[in-house]
Amino acid sequence: MSRILFVVPPLVGHINPTVGVAARLTAEGHEVGWVGPTSPFASLIGSGAAFYPSDRPLPDFAIAGRPPELRGFASLKFLWEEFLIPLADGMAPLVEAAVEEFRPDAMLVDQQALAGALLAERRGIPFATSATTSAELMQPLAEMPKVAAWLDELLNGLRERHGSPEATHDLRFSPHGVLAFSTEELVGPTKGHIVYVGPSITQRPDDTPFPELDGRPVVLVSLGTANAEAGEKFLRTAVEALAELPDYQGIVVDPTGEVTDVRRVPQLALLPKCAVVVCHAGHNTVCETLSHGVPLVVAPIRDDQPIVAQQVVDAGAGVRVRFAGSRQSS
Amino acid sequence: MTTTEASRDVVFTEIADMLRTVLAELGVDDAEITEQSSFNEDLELESIDLVTLTALISERWGEPVNLAEFLADKDLDEVIALKVGDLVDFVSGALARAGG
Repeated sequence: MSRILFVVPPLVGHINPTVGVAARLTAEGHEVGWVGPTSPFASLIGSGAAFYPSDRPLPDFAIAGRPPELRGFASLKFLWEEFLIPLADGMAPLVEAAVEEFRPDAMLVDQQALAGALLAERRGIPFATSATTSAELMQPLAEMPKVAAWLDELLNGLRERHGSPEATHDLRFSPHGVLAFSTEELVGPTKGHIVYVGPSITQRPDDTPFPELDGRPVVLVSLGTANAEAGEKFLRTAVEALAELPDYQGIVVDPTGEVTDVRRVPQLALLPKCAVVVCHAGHNTVCETLSHGVPLVVAPIRDDQPIVAQQVVDAGAGVRVRFAGSRQSS
Repeated sequence: MTTTEASRDVVFTEIADMLRTVLAELGVDDAEITEQSSFNEDLELESIDLVTLTALISERWGEPVNLAEFLADKDLDEVIALKVGDLVDFVSGALARAGG
């Protein structure tokens, strides 16, 4: 029986897969503590979750929102310089206080919650990396050494501020192992100590009402939780297209409520009922969908999504369409 | 028109055609492509699309034009700012050096 600290960023797609891991550890008699979720995300983990440090309210990181029009390398620059690095600096004292209080035997650290990896190396606590997307495993910057050097410099800065001067491993990859919520068949050959566990599709807290199904094959359209601002045009086009397909029941999820009134769906419960899923190639949606044998139409927006979309196409499990060009009728 | 200018025009036309091929696969068939078009902002190409383009270029011109090497030499801000014209410069320069 051990104490295991989960360090996650305030991002739905990064928290959700770890909930199943925590449930399994708890069932086996281990004690799980959490650090990182802000109050809007606490409910994802469920009632009874222990957040650390326990003597203060859940954090509220003041972090710039990403302009929805940013794409490609411009988006990568913003993600690291304006989001992930400041997030790590902001979370570091919090993770330190959590470690002080909870005294974990081991840690599970999200690949984008770098404060956890930094504290673990400084305190000598064994940790595994939680990779809720497989894109980093493919070393996407390998062909661009100058771009890779820019990222290394940012990571080295973090290590100087919060980590151990003796550590040499890449902060995004624990030398003890990386838990990847995908399969090797989809990702292809990778280097390092990667443990493929498949999508985390165990029951997790979800009180979203189940949509009414009328028996026609279901087409689920979802851009996930992190792309609401960029997605309006895509979702409107999807609604128009589905209106011309009376043999299918379209469910178009719009977290903003601007295009449809379906703000959320209980995705894990709904997926087995779907004939096809149209999405942004978000890693969780893709792997969860494929685990039910449901084909995909992927319209990657940015970040890891173009890489995940390519995995889907290469596996013959779906087709890629253009996100920005979706307004065109071709 | 000098020979150099003529071959540069040919290179631009061929690269623009390759870009249309890449874009067509993504369902875009009316993209306006000029030397000033940026890969990131105007054409919204991802790094993975650049890989496809690299393959098309090496298929067309072979060894003398090593786009992978060209990209490897770019830092982040240069990659973000990369324009079609930069690629045309690189390819026509490489072809000239190779005597083609």
